[in-house]
Amino acid sequence: MGRLFPVILLGVGALTLPYSVQRVFLDTPIERTMGTVQKIFYFHVPLAWIMMLLAVVCGVAAGIQIRTRSERAEATAIAAAELVLVAGLGVLLTGPIWGHATWGKAWTWDARQVTTGLLWLVFASYVLVRHFGAAGSERLAAALAIFGAVNVPIIYYAVKIWKTTHPDNNVVGSLPPQMWASLWPALGGLLAMTLGLLWARIRLERAEIALDEAWVGVEDAPQEA
Amino acid sequence: MREAALSTLPRAKNAPMRLPRQAWLLARNDLRQEMREWELVATAGFFTLVVLVMFALAFATLSRDAQVLAVPGMLWLTVAFVGALTLTRIFDRERESDTLRALLAAPVERLAIYLGKALVTLLVLLGCCAILVPGVVLLFPAAAPLAEHPIQTVTLVVLGCLAYTSVGTLFAAGLATSGGKNVLLSVILYPLTTPALIFALVATRALIENHPDFSKYLSQLAALDIVLVGLSGWLFESVLVGTGARRAPTTRRRRG
Repeated sequence: MGRLFPVILLGVGALTLPYSVQRVFLDTPIERTMGTVQKIFYFHVPLAWIMMLLAVVCGVAAGIQIRTRSERAEATAIAAAELVLVAGLGVLLTGPIWGHATWGKAWTWDARQVTTGLLWLVFASYVLVRHFGAAGSERLAAALAIFGAVNVPIIYYAVKIWKTTHPDNNVVGSLPPQMWASLWPALGGLLAMTLGLLWARIRLERAEIALDEAWVGVEDAPQEA
Repeated sequence: MREAALSTLPRAKNAPMRLPRQAWLLARNDLRQEMREWELVATAGFFTLVVLVMFALAFATLSRDAQVLAVPGMLWLTVAFVGALTLTRIFDRERESDTLRALLAAPVERLAIYLGKALVTLLVLLGCCAILVPGVVLLFPAAAPLAEHPIQTVTLVVLGCLAYTSVGTLFAAGLATSGGKNVLLSVILYPLTTPALIFALVATRALIENHPDFSKYLSQLAALDIVLVGLSGWLFESVLVGTGARRAPTTRRRRG
């Protein structure tokens, strides 16, 4: 079951995503003010939600890891952090494309943009510490993830007062139900893909931890003559 | 000497007073060592001067309007640079003479170790700001309001440095116990201290522009300080020694 689950999720994603592309481009009306370019919304927004969800998952898992030393929580934190980087890359690539077409400027130092960018940097540093940190740095990385998750609302607020002239993009809130209806398949497909990858990565990481411990066990065992 | 300082620590008695006293004893010990060698203060102070000269060379020709925008950035970037330099050194002494283990085994609160180290770092940073702020005021005419409101400036600098120090000390301690690789400190520090630096930046700009919202920004910075110190203090013990006992923390073998 543990091995089958990610395959099922990835399969669901592989079926849902083409359907959502078809739906977004052929069955959803074109937005009046922004035109065709608004279609990127159906992928940009779900990716941003998924990235935030994964950041919270990573922060919570790191909190559990630091308190209980759960190996499962540790593997979850690593997997979630790596996927934050992937989803974040998607957000940071689609966002400026959309911004360039609608605001006329790819990067406006809007509070959301800066927050997303900094969140991405924090998780990049988490992954760097995990990969290049010496033995024992997993606790440090966990603290980093907790701080990263706590920082997000603070950064958002900080940038808002730093840059008071951020563009007012309340377009998203006032979408007609037809467009919302097209958002769900895209969100579902991307979420299924993400969870599938997350699950597979957690399994991989746990196998790696088990292998490490087996190595240590063999080295520590008394040598037979 | 450190042993002497530790032996004077009160044991179980006076529990509420124990923490500040222990923190102060540990900090005093570091400060005394610093007074003998002047290593941290001399290097950090000189580095501040160098960065200041660099900024002056790069931005001396800015117009007054541009200076208003640039001065807060220069101020807090320098604090970030000097802070990173100080934090890489603050636990090195313990590591070089392998006293961190002794410190951890000593009958002191772990939080006191954090508070003591944070206090020393904060004092070094404030010492550097004593060069930095007058230097900026001298070099850039737009920064004159910093000298005109000395109390506000000092409060702002203390609160900003405190926010930076509270996060930095936690991660410097974590790297010191996880066996080297201080390179990672910069990788961690800059993204994590950004909110503190943005708040300090906003408040500095408000002070320079005589903005009425300055006191609001200052109190927000103070609130952020409380959050950061609280979170760091809460996490410090877990980062330093770990809790629970799934496995010995350093036995993990690294492959590849």
